[in-house]
Amino acid sequence: MSPIRTKRRTTRSRAGVALTALGLAALTACSSVEPDSGSAGGKGDDALGSTADASAVKDGGTLTMGLSAEPDMLDPTLSRSLYSRYVFETMCQKLYDVDQDASIVPQLATDLPKTSADGKTVTIPVRTDAVFSDGAKLDAAAVKTTLERGLTNPQSGRVSELGPISSIDTPDASTVVVHFKEPFTPFTAALADRAGMIMSPAALKKYGDDFANHPSCVGPFKFSKRVPQNSIEVVRDPEYYDADKVHLDKIVWRILSDAGIRAANLRSGDVLVADTISPQDVGELSKDSSLDVLQSQSLGYQGVTFNVGNVDGVGTAPKPINRPDAQQAEIRQAFEYAIDREGLVKAVFAGQYDVACSPISPASPYTSDAVQQCRPHDPEKAKELLEKAGVSMPYKISMLESNTPDSLRLAQALQAMVKEAGFDLKIQPVEYTSLLDQQDRGDFDTVQLGWSGRVDPDANITPFVGTGGSLNVSGYSNPAVDALLDQARQAQDVKSRQDLYAKANAALAEDNPIVYLYRQRNITGVSKDVSGVQVFADGIPRLAFAGLTK
Amino acid sequence: MRRYLLHRGWQSAVTLILATVVVFIGVRALPGDPALALAGEDRSPAAVEAIRHHYGLDQPIWVQFGRFVANAIQGDFGRSIRTGVPVSSMLRTALPVTVELALLAILLATLLGVGAGVLAAVRRGKPSEWLANAMALIGLSVPHFWLGLLAILYLCVGAGLFPASGFVPLREDPIDNLYHLVLPTVILGTGLAAVIMRQTRSAMLDSLSADYVRTARAKGLRPRTVTGRHALRNSLIVVITIVGLQLGGLISGAVVTEQIFGLPGFGKMTIDAVFQRDYPVIQAVVLITAAAYIGINFVVDLLYSVVDPRIRVAGEAS
Repeated sequence: MSPIRTKRRTTRSRAGVALTALGLAALTACSSVEPDSGSAGGKGDDALGSTADASAVKDGGTLTMGLSAEPDMLDPTLSRSLYSRYVFETMCQKLYDVDQDASIVPQLATDLPKTSADGKTVTIPVRTDAVFSDGAKLDAAAVKTTLERGLTNPQSGRVSELGPISSIDTPDASTVVVHFKEPFTPFTAALADRAGMIMSPAALKKYGDDFANHPSCVGPFKFSKRVPQNSIEVVRDPEYYDADKVHLDKIVWRILSDAGIRAANLRSGDVLVADTISPQDVGELSKDSSLDVLQSQSLGYQGVTFNVGNVDGVGTAPKPINRPDAQQAEIRQAFEYAIDREGLVKAVFAGQYDVACSPISPASPYTSDAVQQCRPHDPEKAKELLEKAGVSMPYKISMLESNTPDSLRLAQALQAMVKEAGFDLKIQPVEYTSLLDQQDRGDFDTVQLGWSGRVDPDANITPFVGTGGSLNVSGYSNPAVDALLDQARQAQDVKSRQDLYAKANAALAEDNPIVYLYRQRNITGVSKDVSGVQVFADGIPRLAFAGLTK
Repeated sequence: MRRYLLHRGWQSAVTLILATVVVFIGVRALPGDPALALAGEDRSPAAVEAIRHHYGLDQPIWVQFGRFVANAIQGDFGRSIRTGVPVSSMLRTALPVTVELALLAILLATLLGVGAGVLAAVRRGKPSEWLANAMALIGLSVPHFWLGLLAILYLCVGAGLFPASGFVPLREDPIDNLYHLVLPTVILGTGLAAVIMRQTRSAMLDSLSADYVRTARAKGLRPRTVTGRHALRNSLIVVITIVGLQLGGLISGAVVTEQIFGLPGFGKMTIDAVFQRDYPVIQAVVLITAAAYIGINFVVDLLYSVVDPRIRVAGEAS
């Protein structure tokens, strides 16, 4: 059994960050956004897993994974659930993938895409030695069919991810040329997700919107069967182009929605891998010598969103809301000063999650020191700001919250924290589907919600704070931020994008429509009977090349 | 008898129609939109609108209802909004699991409950009654989910005696199928057994103090005949009612047990569908549950008249 790859941040470096942060705070005391001690760079102990050692695993066997929620449609164009991506990882390869550093690497493409000088033409070289599970060959035409389906299918979840594409050419069987109306850098990252999963054109033609029940892509495994609400099975595809690297015969996902039950199944050996381990169970499972606990920092975040202009529903023009916290940024800043993020994470999540102060995860290549700056916990300053805002104290405000036990504990902890600073936070627990409805209609003061995160930072910011963004439930609109985000979306190199996001983030922190709270960690339990399971920052457990240990 | 059957059949049909209408309207009155729930994180107003259109959710409610009824009569319940899988195929996999689990649990509960109930009544005031009563009290008071978790912790994780989750269909491997259902059956059955035991005991106590039992004893019949043929048979009406009600409840009520043991049954399907506002699935599930309730009640009524001829006579007179 090969060792687990561990990125460890020592206590000394943690203290170092804290000291540096304090120093910075003293230096920049006049600026409104100051680094919080203990936040900043925030990578905890990542254990991403390692690839399978071919000599240590046997060929054949079934791997069963306990899955926390049921995947939705097994159709890369229509799918909208994170959990479908778990299954796709084994049977629907993408043009690009992300590696352990959240960098993009080729998968069904043979090289990274070439972008023209004006940024409007992207050329992708495509593998020609791969076949779909139905036997048809992968080529540039199949890529074109998939991308066009993503753009034109009325129910497609991929339209915004693919960006402003004007046309797609296939000069030869191994080259796809995508023309854009304007430069769109997040395109490559989109191809490392469902938009880049190439589907068999023959299967698409035969099944149309019923493709989900007969999925056919290129992958080490192919779809075998699905028992709704219960399980999904894939079996090894002998025609896979790199079949030597595949060890397992079959992978089964069994849906076990309760975290405790999932952990029990892992310990009893009924499942060999289980996702979304509860922070409360981590200690117990880590002690079990037959198990490994993999952890990676997520690219998403959890936070509190203020309704600053959503009157007629998400996507409509913002209108003024007659509530002081919607009109005065100071009140929203005060709310943030009132929150002790470290304490929150410790109290509610056993200290297993990381604090978050911006939409860009420290695990992202687009992070920077500037973007991780944080308002420190300062109840006095919060009170001061509230008083300055001239509102009557305690300031009454309500928060929509999903009615799951974990969310409610978080809400109660928040309620207690902000009370100290003069807020009277009323928790409105709502069942999740109703919550979506209510927040999209704009029927809330604040809402506590999160985002699972995407590889490209644009997808983690623009839809939420860009004017008219599809997930801008806050109704926030700031032309300066829009301009910065537009530039960042079009900029080609990492450094200039980093700078632009830092600037946009600083402007956002001033207006503070979203108070970022914490970042979940992707915690996956793995039995030592299996080797080669990996989990990267995108949160997807990679099972395809794992094997049962000898 | 024929009139009685016709009368009951007519009542059942009206109940079923009413249940369909109430569910159809009720589920749409819930806050939350299935298109939004499906669109999840990747929702944009255009995509949500397209989903609504695709599933006909943008049509007036009476058009949707007409289409639902017309299709349901032909056995077509549409497709799940969430997974795109035909609802009829979901029912085909989920229903047998729950029906098997419910029947096994009821069987176990009846054997245990009637046995213990009779024992407690006959041995009134003796230690065996106390024991039976204590067991019933425990069975009633300890929540299923807790018993289930304990069973998983000690019998599956600790002792490794039973699988902690999963299901094998009966026709694939009957032995393995039963093996996977042992724990869920016991967990579900014990709670029911307690209810049945309590009811059997009190009905038996009534019967045992009745005049005809005294007469039977006076005639010199063996105690076993008095208990079994005279007292128990007259107490069975109550037991059958309880078993019937419980069986109906189990079709939709085995949710917790199914959830804990990861069984792909009807209850789990219902809960997931409600949370997702998966209208086609909820409608089908409620229709089937209502039909099951009505069917079981119908059978129970027929059984009454087998056990107690007076009921048949009363039914004919009405």
